[in-house]
Amino acid sequence: MVSREQLLEIPFLQALSPRTQRCLAEKALELSLEPHLDLYQQGDPPTGLYILQSGRVKLYRHSKDKCQILALLVPGQCLGAESLPTDTPSPYAATTLSPVEALFLPPEHLRVLLDELPDFQELFLRLITDKLKQFITLVHDLAFRDVTSRLAMVLLARAETEGKPYEGGIGIERLLSQQEYADMVGTAREVVYRTFRKFESEGLVHITRTLILLRDLDRLRQIALHEAR
Amino acid sequence: MAFDRFPVKTAEVQSIPAFRDMPLEQLTLLASAMIRQTYAPGQIIFTEGEVSGSLWFVFEGRIKIIKQSLNGRVQGLCVMDQGKCFGSCPLFDINKNPASAQALDQVTLFLLPEAELQQVKVREPQLVKALLHIYSQRLTHLAKVSEILGTWAVPDRINDCLLTYANHTTMQPTVELTHEKLAALSGTVREVVSRHLGNLEKDGIIRSELGRIVILNPNALIPPCACEDRNVSPSSHRT
Repeated sequence: MVSREQLLEIPFLQALSPRTQRCLAEKALELSLEPHLDLYQQGDPPTGLYILQSGRVKLYRHSKDKCQILALLVPGQCLGAESLPTDTPSPYAATTLSPVEALFLPPEHLRVLLDELPDFQELFLRLITDKLKQFITLVHDLAFRDVTSRLAMVLLARAETEGKPYEGGIGIERLLSQQEYADMVGTAREVVYRTFRKFESEGLVHITRTLILLRDLDRLRQIALHEAR
Repeated sequence: MAFDRFPVKTAEVQSIPAFRDMPLEQLTLLASAMIRQTYAPGQIIFTEGEVSGSLWFVFEGRIKIIKQSLNGRVQGLCVMDQGKCFGSCPLFDINKNPASAQALDQVTLFLLPEAELQQVKVREPQLVKALLHIYSQRLTHLAKVSEILGTWAVPDRINDCLLTYANHTTMQPTVELTHEKLAALSGTVREVVSRHLGNLEKDGIIRSELGRIVILNPNALIPPCACEDRNVSPSSHRT
């Protein structure tokens, strides 16, 4: 059980009725998770709903030795239970990238809440359609943009959600490996390495041991919006 | 597009899988709120960027959902046939359509306009449940499309499209899509599809006939990178 105050810290839960908030607070569990922990695998039975309070999680699909990262989630977003309405295997996997604090609604409670609370049902539908829109954008980027544009797009998206002002630009934490960047933009690690070098030589980014500093957001935006195909 | 003066019948709404278990009274209510529309092949149903909160159901024929680049290249997201539902992403959050919809054949659609949809939604929580089911399936489909575009080689993507969009109810699976449409669905250009299909035909894996492709050896088309998803029924890929 968690307190109603904890729930109200999550913006998208604030619009729920007091009754629904009470029911959620009764059923939710608090989780503290280590980095690089697999929350669920692609093909697993439907999971419960995780609501991120802090930390980062990646959603990805993989087949044999290849991987496609579908989304990087930030606090206030949620994951899991995507296939609960159809009772089918999870369409993707989820792994923590950093220490994570999350609220968790186990699937058996989630089913009851979805049956009994119409406002929660609508909220859940909105969460699914939001993710759907996010994936449509990803398909668009993979289909029409080249690797350089896609990498610029990923850096800008991260700057928007988690960037902090530093002298000379906006800094984002070096959370992802080059392989993970490659898995996000659908290419090989070597290509990501070369593209970062190119960005650095053109003065667009500066990479330190702990940070990627985005030094020219306007130019990065131009590159990101370019549709090569 | 033509509005048909014939009202939508309750039995017709019941033929849509999402509403199969809905009580008769609620089905009648839903049918009375729907408008029958027909579209000719190639006609645009709605375009990306338009604000629209309506919901469409395919009663007859097929439609495709597409994204278009600034350069005019098309990427297909899915093909939807009888019983499938589309167009309601902005339902609870008025927004722009994230993709366009186009008729592939002569199609009959049932339109549930936004105002009626909001009313039915309030009175009928089962509608939200049905939509949850539909969008959950679609999320799975799009996650897979993203993986395919990001990690699969072009020939594997074309092979997967052939298997996904084949009609498996006939003795030999057949695909009724042009090379151009297959190219849009697999994220490549028509010339590459034509060359690849020529190779498949030479190897005896498919046979090209007028307006369709007959799959002679479906197993040879299973991409080596495909994992457990290939065991999912083809219809679930289409939603």
